Amino acid sequence: MEKEIDFTKPEYYENRELSWLKFEHRILNEARDKNIPLLERLKFISITSSNLDEFFMVRVASLKDMVHANYKKRDIAGMTALEQLEEINKKTKELVEQQYHTYNRSLVPLMQANHIRIVDSFEELSGEQGTFVDQYFMENVYPVLTPMAVDASRPFPLIRNKSLNIAALLKKKEDDIEFATVQVPSVLPRMVQIPGKNEEEKCFILLEQVIEKNIDKLFLNYEVLCAYPYRVMRNADLSFDEDEAADLLKEIQKQLKMRQWGEVIRLEVEHDIDKKLLNILKAELKVANQDVFKINGPIDLTFLMKMYGLEGCEHLRNKPYIPQRVPEITPGENIFETIKKGDILLRHPYQTFDPVVDFIRQAATDPQVLAIKQTLYRVSGNSPIIASLALAAENGKQVSVLVELKARFDEENNIVWAKKLEQAGCHVIYGLVGLKTHSKIALVVRKEEAGIRRYVHLGTGNYNDSTAKLYTDCGIFTCNEAIGEDATAVFNMLSGYSEPPSWNKLALAPIWLRSKFEKLIRREMKHAKAGRPAHIIAKMNSLCDEGIIKTLYEASAAGVKIELIVRGICSLKVGIPGVSENIQVRSIVGNFLEHSRIFYFLNDGEEELYMGSADWMPRNLDRRVEILFPVLDEKLQKKVKHILDVELSDTLKAHILQQDGSYEKVDKRGKVLISSQQTFCEEAIREAVLPEMEGTGRVFIPAEPIE
Amino acid sequence: MKICTFAAAYIGSYEVSLKIFEISAKRGIKEIDYIRSRIELGRDAFFKGNIGYEMVEALCNILVDYKKIMDSYKVDDYEVYAASVLRDAENAIFIMDQIRIRTGLSVTILSNSEHRFLSYKSIATREEFEKMIQKGAAFVDAGGSGMQMTIFSKGEVVTTQHLGLGTMKLRERLEKKSTNLKQYEAQIEELVDKELEVFKSLYMENVKIKYLIISGDYVTDMVRMIDKKQEEHTVETEKMLVFLKKFSNRSVEEIEEELNLPYESDALLIPYMMILKCMARGMGAERIWAPGANVIDGIAVDYAQKKQLLKINHDFDADVLSAAKMLSERYLSYWPHLEALEQMSTLIFDTMKKVHGLGKRERLLLQVAAILHDCGKYISFANAVHCSYDIIMESEIIGLSHIEREIVANTVLYKTFALPSYDVLAEKLDHESYLIVAKLSAILQVSNAMDRSHKQKFKNVKAAIKGKELVITIETEGDAVLEKALFDTKTAYFENIFSMKPVIKEKRVYS
Repeated sequence: MEKEIDFTKPEYYENRELSWLKFEHRILNEARDKNIPLLERLKFISITSSNLDEFFMVRVASLKDMVHANYKKRDIAGMTALEQLEEINKKTKELVEQQYHTYNRSLVPLMQANHIRIVDSFEELSGEQGTFVDQYFMENVYPVLTPMAVDASRPFPLIRNKSLNIAALLKKKEDDIEFATVQVPSVLPRMVQIPGKNEEEKCFILLEQVIEKNIDKLFLNYEVLCAYPYRVMRNADLSFDEDEAADLLKEIQKQLKMRQWGEVIRLEVEHDIDKKLLNILKAELKVANQDVFKINGPIDLTFLMKMYGLEGCEHLRNKPYIPQRVPEITPGENIFETIKKGDILLRHPYQTFDPVVDFIRQAATDPQVLAIKQTLYRVSGNSPIIASLALAAENGKQVSVLVELKARFDEENNIVWAKKLEQAGCHVIYGLVGLKTHSKIALVVRKEEAGIRRYVHLGTGNYNDSTAKLYTDCGIFTCNEAIGEDATAVFNMLSGYSEPPSWNKLALAPIWLRSKFEKLIRREMKHAKAGRPAHIIAKMNSLCDEGIIKTLYEASAAGVKIELIVRGICSLKVGIPGVSENIQVRSIVGNFLEHSRIFYFLNDGEEELYMGSADWMPRNLDRRVEILFPVLDEKLQKKVKHILDVELSDTLKAHILQQDGSYEKVDKRGKVLISSQQTFCEEAIREAVLPEMEGTGRVFIPAEPIE
Repeated sequence: MKICTFAAAYIGSYEVSLKIFEISAKRGIKEIDYIRSRIELGRDAFFKGNIGYEMVEALCNILVDYKKIMDSYKVDDYEVYAASVLRDAENAIFIMDQIRIRTGLSVTILSNSEHRFLSYKSIATREEFEKMIQKGAAFVDAGGSGMQMTIFSKGEVVTTQHLGLGTMKLRERLEKKSTNLKQYEAQIEELVDKELEVFKSLYMENVKIKYLIISGDYVTDMVRMIDKKQEEHTVETEKMLVFLKKFSNRSVEEIEEELNLPYESDALLIPYMMILKCMARGMGAERIWAPGANVIDGIAVDYAQKKQLLKINHDFDADVLSAAKMLSERYLSYWPHLEALEQMSTLIFDTMKKVHGLGKRERLLLQVAAILHDCGKYISFANAVHCSYDIIMESEIIGLSHIEREIVANTVLYKTFALPSYDVLAEKLDHESYLIVAKLSAILQVSNAMDRSHKQKFKNVKAAIKGKELVITIETEGDAVLEKALFDTKTAYFENIFSMKPVIKEKRVYS
């Protein structure tokens, strides 16, 4: 019986960290895909490497905190922190193994076949190369090195978080063996180009190898017994991860002393490191056995990102895609007049981000504009938007900017330009206490002949013109009065004034969003129970909110068809009898980072579509200011639905979540090969050249799989 | 299309709010922005007698921001009003000075009647309103310091009364004295119910109402929650009572959670809900209308009306007259005499337009004075005039400001007594009002003399100015000796003020 099912059973949920590691596997899969050009594959390897670093610093560190605080509460999947750490450790090691396996077995040979060589062991250098390296060492590296020995009078030095180091064992004639360490300078490039064997070959050596080769020059009068690189990851994040429950924060505050500042949570060493050396490192850094990662290859593969831009290797990269013009918007024309003609959908990176930049730029100098208000979360350095906002303030417009200082890893950057804006006369708001402002909204108030008119841009991605070239995001320009009123109310609220008595069209987290989503899901459930068709399609980055998943299970059990496109973490499990048989989950990992959040509800034929900045994660629904906005214009609704349809028919880049929790690529047999990202690129190119068809409205026909 | 951008700010007992409006003849009054800041000035003003410097500082900071917002919209004009909260604060004059120096904004303090009239204006201009008052309605304007009850029957104002049952005052009086939530709620309920009982027996004996109109943001939310049809804003009283029952003995946080209200932990919510409950239960209305308008919308209506930016359909003068008539009925005044007096005085007023230089508003005040001049007899024959003065001053007449009430009461007073010099009245009346009182009381005195016997002997009265004389031509059937004799003794005051002599020309008609 339906009522007997307890949808909150832990076995119905997947731990978010483990789900995240699966996502890393999917990225790694791209690096293993032989259809992808070499440098692109290297890029994916590099991404998994830097992602893993962040994962350790934030998530693993947080779990370690829980263990120290003796926090016993289980997560939605019923795991304690300790259990999670053990499982993460196991899975991470598998991931790293596969990562290096891919690098060593597939990519290194492929690089060599393409005349690219990375020397990761100086013994392989030719005589000529050796001389070059020695000279490079003396001229560039030696002056910035600080070797540190350890003995009775010199304690073990502080090894900086994420830094690459070389540890060495030294011997001074007949004396005891001594330990020394030297940091591989982060100011110098990790890859040093050296002369190749022939004209064609592009040859590089890693900086640590340059140092290792010359290590005896650092320790004169000593015999260097051995030297190996190593790298530590520390729990150095001063703030707690916002994803954790509030009761945990209290718990930890109570036991502040328990917290081990700067504790080493991961030690990476080369797989063939000298045993004695490793033992010293383990003892001095207080690392447990399981936190030691033996790496079969160069430590820290993030350097491969540099390889991606290698000159003269265009044939080893995808042809760069140029974001296309938005057909409704003619560059140089008054953007406000254009928006007045009707709502406009923007699809980045397929379409250019320029109109958004232009929106603010034109507003800054438009004499009719009274005010510009905008939220800024992660902004690129030298952002043209910031320059425009400053100009607007100088032009006497009222400019209010909400700057989120709490954006992870970006704090310093944010403070710099926030100060810049303040100096220009902008009213800078630094977010609400206890809530991160994640919503992306820009409002331009214009005094026109017919009165005040508000122009609003709402987006799923940050106002960052650089990431807009890599992240797939959607945005809407509108001058819809109801949305304009809401937008004004959003900024009033963010400025610390009382919330409006009610909202017209927008739903806001943390106050209204969760119940809004639950209501929408339950409405489908009602339709299903009444025997009417019911369908939900939702696309997001992560899904790990217990309340929402439970509601989805209930909806599935009631017969609602649910299709989810979840890029990363997905704590929902599919195919559980009576619980989630009607739910399908797919994850698209492609050249661009899937980033938009789109929600579709069939609503008995009165289809409703929403977009927004929020994932279905507790942090988005409870601890951030997020906006969910409806797509009201019928033409736009079709376009947005089309995005979902194409992604649901993706056969090349989609991974389908299986009942056992694994992700499998789509079985391509008998199906049209569709890469949704590729399709969107082609569409954008086609549309950009087509003259706007007036009045008719373009209708997209989703590609259908061949039966 | 000419559009006026207007800002209205209101300093209330627990909130300071600002609305930006666009006013145009074509599209009426359109709200552009609504900003609210929570600040419980009333706590200081009502219970300490003056507002402390931290509060003043906070208030000024809010208004500095509001001024910026006004500037950003490039408003054409603004009004900043405050009501009881500054009225009750002894240091109001200094606060207003501080505000002016720091923000450049000048604040107007409203009397209770002005304040209530603005709230009333905000709803009276709604389309639904006319229909509702035809069927009988009670308008409850609930605020922090008190509430105003205005009763309508057959489209006319029956009475408007101020009850000292403000949400903030109730909270401060009762919350700390109650041991628990249940007791607190019971105490509010008892107090409100008792007041309501007395009110109903005094003013609503023969009045039946169909609609309860109630101000406040929360009630609008509740109505919307109960009845999904959002356009209407009305809901059956029964449904509201069932809905409210759910919340008894629940904490503010729980109620806010349930109602999806902003997380502000509004301690005024419970008294507000208790008042709502008592009103819903006690007033006997079938439906509740929550128009969601407040005093700040009234400020915009008032401004638009004053500046003639748009045509307002509701006849607010009629409200004043009907309220005055209801009052005179209450004190059993002799209606034929009042009617004759009203006619006579307005006739003279209209004829003398160029001489007295007064306008429509003053004509209305004259009418009200005529209607109410006799009401004191109910209390004391010997001291009727003074009693009339007191009744007028103590009764609220919707649509009249405090100073206007003072003009009416003094007009009645000095219709009978000699008008003292300005210095004597300077505390009550400003210079302009003093002149109005003089002119109106002179007109009223002459008019009254013409119906001294209260028998309405004169018919077809006509008036005209001829040279330095105001010639009043009357037709009379009976004996008008008393009136004529009296008239001659009452003209000196009139002459003194208008430099014009009124004379009666009699035309005897024989039937």
